[in-house]
Amino acid sequence: MEITQHEENGIVSIAIKGRLDADSSPEAEKVVKEALEGQTTSVLFNLSGLEYLSSAGLRVLLSAAKEMRRREGKIVLCCLNEFVKEIFEVSGFQSLIPIADSVDSGMEVISQ
Amino acid sequence: MGNSNSATESILLVDDNPTNLQVLFQTLEGVGCKLLIAKNGKGALAIAGKARPDLILLDIMMPDIDGYEVCRQLKSDRATADTPVIFLSALGETEDKVKGLQLGAVDYITKPFQPNEVIARVNTHLTIHRLKREVESQKDQLEHELEVVSEVQRKLLPKKLPDIFGFKLAAHYETSRYAGGDYYDIIALPENAWGFLIADAEGHSAPAAVLMAMTCALFRAYPDSPDDPAAVLHYLNEHLCKVAEPSFMTALYAVYDADRQTMRIARAGQPLPMIYRASEKKAFELDSPGVYPLGIEPYEIEIPVAEVKLMSGDRFLVYTDGLSERFNAAGESYGEERLLKPLATDNVTAPQDVIAVIMADVEQFAGDHPADDDQALLLGIVD
Repeated sequence: MEITQHEENGIVSIAIKGRLDADSSPEAEKVVKEALEGQTTSVLFNLSGLEYLSSAGLRVLLSAAKEMRRREGKIVLCCLNEFVKEIFEVSGFQSLIPIADSVDSGMEVISQ
Repeated sequence: MGNSNSATESILLVDDNPTNLQVLFQTLEGVGCKLLIAKNGKGALAIAGKARPDLILLDIMMPDIDGYEVCRQLKSDRATADTPVIFLSALGETEDKVKGLQLGAVDYITKPFQPNEVIARVNTHLTIHRLKREVESQKDQLEHELEVVSEVQRKLLPKKLPDIFGFKLAAHYETSRYAGGDYYDIIALPENAWGFLIADAEGHSAPAAVLMAMTCALFRAYPDSPDDPAAVLHYLNEHLCKVAEPSFMTALYAVYDADRQTMRIARAGQPLPMIYRASEKKAFELDSPGVYPLGIEPYEIEIPVAEVKLMSGDRFLVYTDGLSERFNAAGESYGEERLLKPLATDNVTAPQDVIAVIMADVEQFAGDHPADDDQALLLGIVD
């Protein structure tokens, strides 16, 4: 699993590649926590490279969503592949965390 | 600098020269441990095996078997392999030291030795060995506690499956190495109906186990007859939201009306149930709409309930994701689709046999790769 983050114009972008599961989620959790350390109220997850997502991975995304809710901010997950999107939908998370097809439409969601 | 050595700890001194032994003995008298002596290799091995010293100071040049050979034999015997060995020898070349250390010794002191240096190194290695034993003991204790937790969890599961007229049940439950969070329960309802709950706490060990135990207790304490799947999930969610964070519980609650042969299902993040239609000899995933898992936040919306009519010979399967997330050595997951084939097996008809076919397929796929999550399945077949 590879996770990178950067901030631009007040929006924190986090890209996750590979598998987000019980093994890799502790590291992902740590990076996400650090990425959100500032005052940001906008976070975009670029999941175009994400191959697999388990319940442990969902938990990482959920904690980011909850933090954004606390700050009355916005979160969006974009570029999920078909497989990951299905995992997301079966798990019922699509009503908790918005998803977008592309980074651009994701940015639109956050800036609304 | 003080030490925490105690008289229950012992050091074995090995040297064929009586004068050397005596000097060593006198040097280490103040260290606070019991001192044992051996004058040759064979004696050293015998005493090491019996008395299990906490440290061995080993001479190398000895008549029968030399110190290197003694060390080799110590390391190859499980009883003495973990005992730290310090070589104490006149052989002072680098290759002698490297040889000794590569044989597994923790240190190498050349003779003639400086008493305070020997004392300092002995204390250091005794401390390291002591800490190592403490860590191992705590690890054993933790593993034992997790086993106890696992035992408690097993007791919370139904002791046996009920006999439902017209609907034969079988279940499979397998924990992974650590206490997990999978749970299932079956309850009799009025008017020949039955409720089936299957749930999966996210995570492992104590937190997941606690969540599992709470869900079990909450379900059994439902203040009414749990015949409304949506109401049951609402109730569980309401109570779990207060305590589950940061974890959550996926769940599925299905009510079977045995007279009408209809199954009503409410699902919160649990994998989709699967159905085998005997008339078509085909299995498929039921498109059962769902909500997010229990314990995250209250449900503002109505929980949708799927309804399906089952005919004679039809099979209804619910399971936890430990099954679909079972990996093989190549890193591929078993997934959901693969389940459809063994579910549709027509070699056998009894539910426990169908489950056996399913599990055999899963195990064959996974190969040597063990499960890292609990696996639970509940299967019902209509007569």
